[in-house]
Amino acid sequence: MRRKRLGVVTDGAFNAGLTVRLDPGVSTESLRIGDFVIVEGEEYLYFSAITDLELRATDARVQADPPPDDAAFLREVLQGTATYATVQVKPYLMMRRVSPAEPLAAAEAALVGEEGPRPVKTIPMHFAVLCEAREEDFAAVFGAEDEAHFAVGTPLTQDIPICLDLRRFVERSNGIFGQSGTGKSFLARLLLAGIIAKGLASNLIFDMHNEYAYSVQREGGGWAKGLREIFGPSSVLVYSLDERASRQEGRAVDGVLRLGLNQIEAEDVLLLGEELDLTSTAQATAGLLQDRYGEDWLRALLEMDAEAIQAFCAETNAHPGATEALQRKLKEVARRPYIQPQAAFDQVDEMLHVLEGGKHVILQFGRHQRLLDYMLVANVITRRIMRQYEAKWNRYLETRREEDKPRQLMITIEEAHKFLNPAAARQTVFGTIAREMRKFNVTLMVIDQRPSGIDTEVLSQIGTRVTGKMTEERDIEAVLTGVGNRPFLRGALESLDTRQQVLLMGHAVPMPIVVQTRNYDEAFYQAVAGGGRRPGRPEDLAGKLEELFG
Amino acid sequence: MTRIGEIVATHSLGFVAESFTLHQPPALGSLVKAPLVAGGEALGVVCFGETVGLQPGRRALRRSDEAVYDSAIYQEHPELVHTIRTEFHAVLVGWQEGGAVRQVLPPQPPPLHYSVAVCTPQEVRAFTERLDYFRLLLAAETPLPSEQLLAAHIRRAYADRGRDDAWLRRAAREVARLLKEEYDRLVTVLSGIAPEGGN
Repeated sequence: MRRKRLGVVTDGAFNAGLTVRLDPGVSTESLRIGDFVIVEGEEYLYFSAITDLELRATDARVQADPPPDDAAFLREVLQGTATYATVQVKPYLMMRRVSPAEPLAAAEAALVGEEGPRPVKTIPMHFAVLCEAREEDFAAVFGAEDEAHFAVGTPLTQDIPICLDLRRFVERSNGIFGQSGTGKSFLARLLLAGIIAKGLASNLIFDMHNEYAYSVQREGGGWAKGLREIFGPSSVLVYSLDERASRQEGRAVDGVLRLGLNQIEAEDVLLLGEELDLTSTAQATAGLLQDRYGEDWLRALLEMDAEAIQAFCAETNAHPGATEALQRKLKEVARRPYIQPQAAFDQVDEMLHVLEGGKHVILQFGRHQRLLDYMLVANVITRRIMRQYEAKWNRYLETRREEDKPRQLMITIEEAHKFLNPAAARQTVFGTIAREMRKFNVTLMVIDQRPSGIDTEVLSQIGTRVTGKMTEERDIEAVLTGVGNRPFLRGALESLDTRQQVLLMGHAVPMPIVVQTRNYDEAFYQAVAGGGRRPGRPEDLAGKLEELFG
Repeated sequence: MTRIGEIVATHSLGFVAESFTLHQPPALGSLVKAPLVAGGEALGVVCFGETVGLQPGRRALRRSDEAVYDSAIYQEHPELVHTIRTEFHAVLVGWQEGGAVRQVLPPQPPPLHYSVAVCTPQEVRAFTERLDYFRLLLAAETPLPSEQLLAAHIRRAYADRGRDDAWLRRAAREVARLLKEEYDRLVTVLSGIAPEGGN
């Protein structure tokens, strides 16, 4: 089957993209910004995206004196002749055509397998034909579902699965962005389910609002299953910070987590500076205390009376006022119900063991949904896991035995800008993971509605960005940090629906694309529980690909 | 072939013929043909018609009165028909030979004193399948504005083709393409050819 023709290339530049005049009879309304289209050059096929649509007239007088409403014939004739539309098309990938010698008109432009799509290095000549993409074209670029490719949705205008390469997805840190109400947590659950189903990484999820493990109510009514319910207790373990929540019917947890004062380090205080309203002097004091008392610094501080504080300040040159303020604020932390004076890392190490076994851990915060709780606990646990992981990695480097290689780990955090703002990112464990832990097989999945709050250096390390609608200028800027062809992507972002539409870009997709995300429903549960393949599809699609690409 | 006139002036771009029927030259815009010496037939579009006295430059005198007017004048003055003649002009738009139709000017003009005939609807249909000759019509130097000529021709051909709406739309789009930078002329043609109730 030939591709449906849309128009011909009439102008263009490698940097600016191609201008295509739409054929008469092709309406701009049948195309959308971000649509995936094919330009058929003489030798190559160009996989491209529509970046702009424009209305034009051959004579300015048409615009000054448009035909009256009752002149139907005149209007009909003018459409596509004196008035016409052009589309701007940005080629991303190119691939050699089957038989370059074959004249364009006769060519049944099929696809070649041995040489897959490559980044574009040239542009087609005048009058190359712009076509709608066919299912095979999508499959050639985005892959068909297999052990690494996971269908996340369909293009807006066609019912064809678009796959994310989850193997590439987990090997770098990722971001799920979008203003509130764009379904970020559903999307995160969708992706996590895919990763769990394909078994490509272990997941540690800091679940601030208790929405990943068990069913949550959908906005339109009905319930959406949690990961624990889909994959079962043998694969997904749930820990809670809240003892009371852990006793709820049908929401079993595998452990109630406790933190000890001895586990809190000066770094955590830095992270909590804003939440606790601490001055920078007070934050620095924490460092001095840790230098002086080591692991026991917090307990020592809390036990100090006025005299002891004086003595400590005299000894270390700390500011007495700041030290008192720090003590006052940290007493608040010490009163949190999940904090106890002393705790060992047994529970965290148990989690780590679980993760290494290829299972997944969700840490629920129960009632403790203050940012203070979330950031403190996530930071303490992650730091511990990180240190263990680094040690394991170093051992692997020594032994170079495959069985010593730590399993790929992905840590999911929400409200990421709190952890990764420019001040915090430089000093906390999350900043370190985002910047350099990729080489130790640890990556982050950050979920955030305010990416502008995230440190730009961290943003530039984010491999794959999955972005829902955004309108705030600074956030759009932030999401597009380090990405080419921003005007187009900006247009695509602004034109997304608030529901179930996302822009995929980065490491795990060969080119940016807007998709309608897959429904998170019974069929989806079935599909992922059975290994992440779409029921009924994979065999025939695989067969087709085999046929096409040999 | 029904002869309707005889060529009285001819050149590469067109010819003038005297009509065999007084006052009734072929309709404006209709497709006519005249033989070529080298074989085949030249095809032209009627672009002008007039009835004049035999003496060039001399205007006719008034002949009607209260009782005798219009056709009665000719009954009253039977000699009159011998002093006037009806002529029509055609611009060449192509030629045909052995079934092949070419929409370019013929290599030679049709010869003087040869006959002119109106093309049959079949010939019109065959010739108007391609619309390249619209350019020739638009470029023709005729006494009437070329967009009027084109509109008249399209109307005729539309009728000859049995009110072929698909063809009319195709022709209209072709005109729009040719006059893409001359909106006012384009609108003149399009409003001249819009089907009844379609404008």
